[in-house]
Amino acid sequence: MANQQTEAALAALVAAARRSAIGRRLQGDIETRLLQSIVDATVRLFDAEAASIALFELDPDRLEFRVAAGEQGAGAVGLTVPPTQGIAGFVYSTGQALSLSDVANDPRFNRDAAEQTGYVPRSIAAAPLLDEQGTVGVLQVLDKRGSPTFSLRDMELLAVFAAQATVAIGATRVQRDTERLLRTVLARVGPDLDESQLDELVAAATTNLDVDDEAPFWRLVDQVARLRSLTDRETALLTDILDVVAAHAERARRSRAGR
Amino acid sequence: MTDQLPAWSEPFADPKHALRRALRLRGLTREWAWGGATGKGVRVGIIDSGLENDHPQLYGRVVENVTVEISGDEPIVVPDERADMFGHGTACGAIIVGLAPEVEIVSIRVLGADLRGKGTAFATGLEWAIDQGLQVCNLSLSSKSESLYPVFHDLADRAYFRGTALVSAANNVPAPSYPSLFSSVFSVAAHAEPDPWRLYYNPAPPVEFGAWGVDVPIAWKDGGSTVATGNSFAAPHVAGLVALILSKHPGLSPFEVKAILASVADNPGRRRPRGRRDRPA
Repeated sequence: MANQQTEAALAALVAAARRSAIGRRLQGDIETRLLQSIVDATVRLFDAEAASIALFELDPDRLEFRVAAGEQGAGAVGLTVPPTQGIAGFVYSTGQALSLSDVANDPRFNRDAAEQTGYVPRSIAAAPLLDEQGTVGVLQVLDKRGSPTFSLRDMELLAVFAAQATVAIGATRVQRDTERLLRTVLARVGPDLDESQLDELVAAATTNLDVDDEAPFWRLVDQVARLRSLTDRETALLTDILDVVAAHAERARRSRAGR
Repeated sequence: MTDQLPAWSEPFADPKHALRRALRLRGLTREWAWGGATGKGVRVGIIDSGLENDHPQLYGRVVENVTVEISGDEPIVVPDERADMFGHGTACGAIIVGLAPEVEIVSIRVLGADLRGKGTAFATGLEWAIDQGLQVCNLSLSSKSESLYPVFHDLADRAYFRGTALVSAANNVPAPSYPSLFSSVFSVAAHAEPDPWRLYYNPAPPVEFGAWGVDVPIAWKDGGSTVATGNSFAAPHVAGLVALILSKHPGLSPFEVKAILASVADNPGRRRPRGRRDRPA
């Protein structure tokens, strides 16, 4: 009996993980595009040299710069920094927005920044991306062109942009973090499970999810994902085709049932 | 869009309009509140990234460094290195020492690589500070964790009943964050007037006090200094004033200290008397 229950629970987990994977596949890089539009707007509004968004990732714990904008921003994308270091790390750890305005005087900061991005800012402002659970990342702006410092108003505006980015992330995070989602749920329903049991269950539910890209099902999912770029005419055409296919399937089903 | 700003600092940017209504208690002046005070006899906890004890701007006022160690389920408070992960704790300490040069600072580090369960570390550090009988605690962080809400609520009450003033930087986010928005806490946002003694009282909570937090020259990591903006640099200005008041009037409750601060604040309509000194003699 207990075994049957376990199997049913595992089946449910696999289904949840599969749904989540489908969602992720359908959404594609929508998160990146949303975040990109936010840093683009940030750079323009602040008339800044660069703006970037770093998101927290697990194993190892790190802040990973996902998008950047501005003339001096490009070097930041893909960069990772420990959440225990630097301004991004502090803002991530405390959830407190802050700006520093003569960072170029800090030789250590200077060298690190230059080595990593090829650009040494004079001033930097950073705001946390805060959702209901806590901080998920950091939005940074470097060097406002019109001013050597960031004003209170700037900090408040930055918080608004950070809130936008958080909404964008929240919308896609569930899909992105299938494993984290499962872990959280499992830990809550089974408080007695230890780490290794959790690992085992999560692995059992997610193994084989993405291995075979060529499987007919995943090809179909990918095709559906590509439909986003269709024009209205193409969409209408596709709808007609699907109507025909659906009608055909319905007829086939009826004739099978009638037999 | 500007209507949606979670602008805790906004009243302090326009005090003439926003801060007109404020109580004035007769006889309560800055001279009475902290004239001649140095912070002597007051211990201030800084719950932050650690403190660099030998930073020149701390003038040797750090008397203890502890951190929270999380091994297994039981977080425990243990002695810590005399170092600062980020520079921020040192910055807060130096602001407080700048106002109250004879306070004793206790560094309670709750940020760092080994403190992944940040909320728990924070709560444990705060509990320790209250149980040690520290008179003032400066908090630069707050938690959004729903599960920790009752923990922080209990700690804020415990602090209040034991007479520990919790001074917390307001978080500029349109969502609850604890303990900075609990009513017993001294919640602080930044104003932009470059004067460490300029204090505003906001009669419309949750954020009740405004202090200097824009382009503040601060101490930073590795004996350095920089210039910074943020509510977390406003809070230690208020913590410093609270320490001065408590060193001159030991045993006042947080409620009484708040009333004094409100009464001596620089809100419009109550000019500072001419020739009166802000600074203790």
